[in-house]
Amino acid sequence: MPDHLSTTFKALADPTRRAILARLALGETSVMELAKPFDMSLPAVSQHLKVLQSAGLVKRGRDAQWRPCTLDARGIKDATQWLEQYRKFWDESFGKLDKYLKDVQSKE
Amino acid sequence: MTTMKVTASAPEDHPTISMEREFDAPPDVLFRAHSDPDALKIWYGPDGFTNTVIAMDFRIGGQFRFIMHGPDGTDYSNRMTFREIVPAKRLAYLHGSDIENDPNAFDVVATFEAIGKNRTLLKKISVFPSVEARNAVMKFGAVELGMQTLEKLATYLKV
Repeated sequence: MPDHLSTTFKALADPTRRAILARLALGETSVMELAKPFDMSLPAVSQHLKVLQSAGLVKRGRDAQWRPCTLDARGIKDATQWLEQYRKFWDESFGKLDKYLKDVQSKE
Repeated sequence: MTTMKVTASAPEDHPTISMEREFDAPPDVLFRAHSDPDALKIWYGPDGFTNTVIAMDFRIGGQFRFIMHGPDGTDYSNRMTFREIVPAKRLAYLHGSDIENDPNAFDVVATFEAIGKNRTLLKKISVFPSVEARNAVMKFGAVELGMQTLEKLATYLKV
């Protein structure tokens, strides 16, 4: 798996960036709108957006003048797939362990 | 049986992954499932994986060496070197590939806590020697995960 996952998780580490993603989950919007709930300058918000963009979590429109921001499913999918692999490894191992424990205890 | 809780955090110096899970067995039985190679062989690894045990020397400084066979035919060599053994309570080991001085080997501490009759809480903490090592082993970012956010987004996007 390529190491862009590190970039994705780093991007997700920041609470402001997570709040931006949560807002974008409601639908596309402008940088101006995104900045409103935060006590933050537009350049500061743009900076966060750049991090989210390079992590493949957010896309910016090209056509409209206000360049709307939307969620990018690609980055989110890669990150959840990785997490899912890890969870699956232990979930399935522990499922087998449950069964093993039941078997040995019924023999005792 | 309960749902597993997985949390990941990564202060710059100690990248960590923690897990908690309850089991319907007393601590000594659960501990034995972690120290008996015949038991580990049965349960360790996801569905479709099998294990071949090479050697088990269950004492401090001793090693458990085994090969995990993936359903696609890929083999994964493993070596656990035991650092701490407190029967029915605590187990600590270094986990890496079955080679000398694996630079990506990571420390695991498992604790077994009785939480009622015939029930045990297993806590497993993996601490990586460096962010790079964890990235190499786990392909994982150097940060606390916004796991909930991520899951919510995934649900929203149905990815």
